[in-house]
Amino acid sequence: MSEIRTLIVDDSSVMRKIVERSLRQAGLDTMVVYEAGSGTEGLDMLRAKQVDLILSDINMPSMDGLEFLRQLRAQNLAPGVPVVMITTESSEEHVKQAILAGAQGYIRKPFTADQVKERVLPLLQPV
Amino acid sequence: MLLNGVRNAAIATARRSGETEMERAMPVTLRASLQLVSDPRNLDATVEEVFKMMLGIDCHRDPGPVDLEMESVTAVVGFGGLLSGACLFKSGSSTAIKIAAAMTGMEITEVDDTVKDGTGEIGNMLAGAWKGKVPDLAANCGLSIPAVITGRDYNLHVQAPEFKLVHCYRFEGGCFEVTIICDGLQ
Repeated sequence: MSEIRTLIVDDSSVMRKIVERSLRQAGLDTMVVYEAGSGTEGLDMLRAKQVDLILSDINMPSMDGLEFLRQLRAQNLAPGVPVVMITTESSEEHVKQAILAGAQGYIRKPFTADQVKERVLPLLQPV
Repeated sequence: MLLNGVRNAAIATARRSGETEMERAMPVTLRASLQLVSDPRNLDATVEEVFKMMLGIDCHRDPGPVDLEMESVTAVVGFGGLLSGACLFKSGSSTAIKIAAAMTGMEITEVDDTVKDGTGEIGNMLAGAWKGKVPDLAANCGLSIPAVITGRDYNLHVQAPEFKLVHCYRFEGGCFEVTIICDGLQ
């Protein structure tokens, strides 16, 4: 698989590292990673960088992941780029809200690298 | 005071995202499910799942109480909505360092921002996975952003909680305590 440019949005730097490691274990070992600590920072980064994949937490201070996703779609930033939400919120209602806001995938924490592989790789085919 | 802060944040989160048209029309109650919500096996399953999946660590319930170091790190995540209260994860500093090192793959020697961040995330995942064990709770209870306390000689007091679970766990090289406090159930 060619180099994938990935934006990881999470207020926890530890979680950003875990997500990156899981993606590499899932086979994206030639990935370039951009990190953002909030939804606002994520939007700023998308104005400056092109990416192929976005993974975002939901429960974040100031701008949460759902608002980040809504703004991303409303401002037509990263059109066509798949967005996967990674969150501790596990109800069907939260999944529905994420899908309605424009997410293509949803991963519940805690997760394994295999689950990341199952949910993310199909969204990147073909690159 | 800290618990009030995280609880209010969790209530705000629940209001923001958890309420559907159906829920507005049909009041949901958890009181009838108190036994299910307070089932101690849910907490054990949650802790084992989070540690195995996110850290590759096998941990098991210890009859406790465990001797935590004087210097400790505690993550507090508030619940708001149909259930109000908090999930607390508390470990000694050296255990917190080992857990953060396992999470990040980094070599860590002191309780720094990475350790505090990692401890907060453990608390967040435990709270989320625990409430996810009961569908009505998953859908109608929000979580606050984790708050992390470090230091020594501190205790948490809640007057007359609905229920409280305090479980100790042990893994190779460390032990910790997880508490679920419910001070309101609708």
